[in-house]
Amino acid sequence: MLAQIGDEAKLLAGGQSLIPLMKLHFANPGHLVDLNFIPEISYIKEEDGALGFGALARHAEIENSATAAKLPIIHDCAAGIADVQVRNRGTIGGSIAEADPSGDWATVLLTQAAEVRCLSPKGERAVSLNQFITDAYTTVLAHDELVSEITVKIPPKGTGAAYLAFKRAAPVYPTASAAVSVAMEGDVCKEADIALGCVGLIAIKATAAEAALRGQRLTDKSIAAAAEAARAAADPQSDMRGSAGYKRALVVALVKRVIEIAARRARGEQVEVSHIYA
Amino acid sequence: MPENIEKISVKLNVNGKTYVRNLEPRLLLVEFLREELDLTGTHVGCDTTYCGACTVLMNGAAVKSCTVFAVQADGAEILTVEGLEKDGQLHPIQKAFGDSYGLQCGYCTPGLLISTYELLSHNKQPSDKQIRKAIAGNTCRCTGYQNIFKAIQLAAQNRTRT
Amino acid sequence: MANKFGGEEKKWVGKALPRKEEDRLLRGRGRFADDIKLRDMAYLRFVRSPYAHARIISIDTSAAEALAGVVCTLTGKEIVPQTQPFIEIGPDSKVRDYPFAVSKVRYQGEPVAAVVAESASIADDAAELVRVEYEALEPVMDAEQALQDNSILHEEAGTNKIWHGVFEYGDVEKDFQDAAFVVRIDRLHFHRFSSTPLENNVVIGEWNLKDDRIYYSCNNSFPSFAIQFLSAHLNVHIDRIRVQTSDIGGSFGIKITNYPQMAVVALASKKAGGRPVKWVETRSEHMTSSAHGNERTFRDTRVALDKNGLITAITSRHIDDCGAYPRYEPLGCVIWSQVFPGVYRFKNARIDFTQTVTNKCPVGPNRGYSRMQHLWFLERVIDICAHELGIPADEMRMRNYIRPEEFPYTTPNGCVYDSGNYPGMLELAKQLIGWDAWKKKQAEAQKQGRLIGIGIGTTLDSGTNNFGQSQIVNPGAPFSGNSQGANCKLDIYGEVVVAVGSCPQGQGHETTAAQVVADVLNISPDLITVRTGFDTERNVHTGFSGTYASQFAVSGLSAVHGAAQKLKTEMKRLAAFVLESEEDDVEFGVGAQGPELRAKRTGKSINYWGLANIVNVNSAVLPVEMYDITLNCRYIWRAPFKVPDKQRKYGNLTLTYASQLHIAVIEVDRETFIPTILDYVAVDDCGTVINPPIVEGQVYGATAHGIGAALLENCAYDAVGNMLTSTFSDYTPITALNMPKIKYGHIQTPSPHSYSGAKGMGEGGAAPIHTISAALQDALFSNGIIIEDSFNNADSLFRALVGKEICQAERLVKLERRAS
Repeated sequence: MLAQIGDEAKLLAGGQSLIPLMKLHFANPGHLVDLNFIPEISYIKEEDGALGFGALARHAEIENSATAAKLPIIHDCAAGIADVQVRNRGTIGGSIAEADPSGDWATVLLTQAAEVRCLSPKGERAVSLNQFITDAYTTVLAHDELVSEITVKIPPKGTGAAYLAFKRAAPVYPTASAAVSVAMEGDVCKEADIALGCVGLIAIKATAAEAALRGQRLTDKSIAAAAEAARAAADPQSDMRGSAGYKRALVVALVKRVIEIAARRARGEQVEVSHIYA
Repeated sequence: MPENIEKISVKLNVNGKTYVRNLEPRLLLVEFLREELDLTGTHVGCDTTYCGACTVLMNGAAVKSCTVFAVQADGAEILTVEGLEKDGQLHPIQKAFGDSYGLQCGYCTPGLLISTYELLSHNKQPSDKQIRKAIAGNTCRCTGYQNIFKAIQLAAQNRTRT
Repeated sequence: MANKFGGEEKKWVGKALPRKEEDRLLRGRGRFADDIKLRDMAYLRFVRSPYAHARIISIDTSAAEALAGVVCTLTGKEIVPQTQPFIEIGPDSKVRDYPFAVSKVRYQGEPVAAVVAESASIADDAAELVRVEYEALEPVMDAEQALQDNSILHEEAGTNKIWHGVFEYGDVEKDFQDAAFVVRIDRLHFHRFSSTPLENNVVIGEWNLKDDRIYYSCNNSFPSFAIQFLSAHLNVHIDRIRVQTSDIGGSFGIKITNYPQMAVVALASKKAGGRPVKWVETRSEHMTSSAHGNERTFRDTRVALDKNGLITAITSRHIDDCGAYPRYEPLGCVIWSQVFPGVYRFKNARIDFTQTVTNKCPVGPNRGYSRMQHLWFLERVIDICAHELGIPADEMRMRNYIRPEEFPYTTPNGCVYDSGNYPGMLELAKQLIGWDAWKKKQAEAQKQGRLIGIGIGTTLDSGTNNFGQSQIVNPGAPFSGNSQGANCKLDIYGEVVVAVGSCPQGQGHETTAAQVVADVLNISPDLITVRTGFDTERNVHTGFSGTYASQFAVSGLSAVHGAAQKLKTEMKRLAAFVLESEEDDVEFGVGAQGPELRAKRTGKSINYWGLANIVNVNSAVLPVEMYDITLNCRYIWRAPFKVPDKQRKYGNLTLTYASQLHIAVIEVDRETFIPTILDYVAVDDCGTVINPPIVEGQVYGATAHGIGAALLENCAYDAVGNMLTSTFSDYTPITALNMPKIKYGHIQTPSPHSYSGAKGMGEGGAAPIHTISAALQDALFSNGIIIEDSFNNADSLFRALVGKEICQAERLVKLERRAS
């Protein structure tokens, strides 16, 4: 059907971003294909050591899913998106496919072994998340292709991850956000993944910050070094959410805090995370 | 705007009553409720899915009806503020809002009642923090939220008592 | 509830009576303007300017008109020959204000055309088809720059300056010569924000061509002002304009200035052949082009203090930015002087006040209108002086407050503060927040390098204006005093029905009016019907009727009380005749036949139905000397004001002065710079309270507006006049997650100026804005920070603390210590 309509078509998943854009006349698609009547792709499952999220799994379903809770960072993200009403409609697949620079999921999934399954009449392919989003609002999806599933490998024991954002109010996108995953061996960080949200055209993988932690004991000093490296990796714009300078400072604070939470989780601690609101 | 938009047949249940209609695909659920069904208790306060004045329950989940197309509600069960009372008696949540002076102009109230309804349907004794999170998508410009917090606590108490 | 018979007592006034408004609103049966649908109604959509300042070269509406379902279009050029420019309140104003831009646009979002169509969505589509060609002009976005007149908004006026005047009282310079300390503050700035009612503006208008009358259903919050403007603008006899309001989803003053849109809707209806036309504003339209609060800059402030920190004199230059059109302005140029010295004792001051237009949305009287800017300025002065002199903030206030025994207190500019007890409020607020404990915690936290501040904000909510102050800005203005109308009647079957000239938006007027009447007639409030909303045809409005400026408890309820008294007198006379008794022998109450009047001596009684029956349908039994009895009593209450002295800018400008004292404890995170309110108390004094929970609710609401304004809400523009906060998602009105728990307390100093001792309230003078500025400065002063702006979010605090771009004490403030 998508192949027939051509590139004038937009896919409607939860609609929590697309419908407001249409109302403000910022988007005016000739055709809208509602995916919501495909119930088969709203599952949340665990299979072969990975979590699988059907593209239409809603944020609220993920928030309340015992299966998804196996990865606390997934819960951090799902529970912090917008507000109850939006989480009840918005979907993980829609969010990833929209590729809004301020979206939460891409930032979180960049720290995970995550893949996006894309489906078209020609067949299915899996794209790793860091290759899926190519630019702001741009993905590798062809016009006759849609996201069918997102898979996230469950990391081995000793790994912890967390996600934290600063938001002015619940219904709006964060000013900045950070996701961190650390694999710990005792005090030493064996592996680290750090991603930053809302401070670039796409979620930014802060590789220098990761390097600053890798093989290091987690101390105030190494954490500060990673946070500083993250500040350098951030490339924010000044806007109503904050000046570029402020957003960089915020990245430092968020990264520090998230590393600490991720490390505690890696040690098996239960840590509840709630975003910071103005 | 494409010409000759095809209308779509929709069957849905609103406050216990079934409606079958042919609708323009771009009609929003809130427009359908207000304009076609004359259920004007559901309000519109913004155009960016911020304020929640349009909140209704769709299949048991609170949604912003300004951000759902009416045709997407095909087959759904919708509850609006008008459907809360029973045989003329206020729903306990409505009563709690009244008893706590949890409203002033009353424009945001229908949305808040529905958000509270959803909260209390799965959380019998919400904490202060849970209450705040549950209504974070409902803007009230009059009350400063203080009496709304009290109202939701009161509604929860009344519920557990009965 | 059965009352005992007796005279008038306060049984209901002062009680926490549940609101009569609640039932319909809780059931979703409120009737808001957008809920109204009329036969054959068409829908209007505006075409708005994307430019802040531009000449209109051409407007082509042909494509829009060609779209199926479009009824007509309307442009500025078309309406000029049919209308007069709106009345200007300012003296000799050359500004020509039409509801559409005619030859040029002066702010982003200004209407340039309108489209009327069979449905809202067709109107929407058609508006996109209107082609407007512009030639961009240089936008003027800063008030001080505007006054240089390099780029002029209103060429006819020849200048951007709207008003200028000097308010000088006492021997100012002598105080500076004698001062022990002189503090100079270079610049302070009060930002633009709007309390953004959740219901947008809505107008349904019908210019009925059969009877040539205009019928409005709308949510304007000062309709008697609107009809005066509309009548002159549309060249229509004022009695030919009917305005009705029903439930209103908040106004906070913002909906006073939607009369230009009311004009467009009427003109569009006329062009559409008299069909009713509905306009529902979108939130984006509301943000860019409804009304914002006044922005104000305070320059070159000098403060003289004696050796004890008592302020003796202040001089300052204030520049108010009213946006692109004055509209309700320049009234704000005098309204602030209702609270000229704030709550403080200084006698000598000179304020040089100028107002200018800029290429921003026109301002409107937003909650706390014009006074909050000035009160924020005074509170800044107090806290900056206190910090510079090393005097604790509470002590500084105690030394400078007007003392309780000084009331009624006459201010340097002749205003009479009716009553108050500012030290008592401070004491109560300190108790409620646990002042000493917080001081201790603050000191401990400081040692750990944490930034915690405790701030006090004292403020006034002046209610019931003397409109004579308009003559201070324009000696030719034909307004003075203040009044409100009400009607109280026994209807044909004896129902008590009350109508008032207010148009409430959640303030509980139906309830409090019923409480007042219940006490007069000694019956229960649920036996009283209070008509809701405003209607010109009810004939209870005066030229000042509406709901604004913290006055219903005084003007509205005084009118209701007067009407109820009149009715009571008539009922007594009539009952005495029927019961063959004396008026003194007749008492009011509820008996076996419902509400009735009874002769004490004989025990004979007549109920309300009986009385109403005689007057309305059984009048042959009525003796001729009682023909003046109508049981339908209209009363106009007038505030006891004099016209102020225009030359000296002197006189009583307001009847009552409610006061608020807030304390906030705020921590600024050292890493995220996010200011978090750790504790907050609001103490209120509005004299005698009519309905305590309603007052408490108003306090909470005003507090939320203030906290929102101080930390989250800012009507921001970029350098070329694009509004950066044109949606709620950008503007972020305060939500449940941002709102701290508020501790509430109140004292009552009854006003000698109102019949009940009540003072108008509801605006709260934006107390949290002062309080939060004070607390932030307290947290950061040791880091060299002075709070210079009323809006401070995490980003501003970062720019202050790290960037050192703003709020730098050494740049802003100079302290001069004189040898004593």
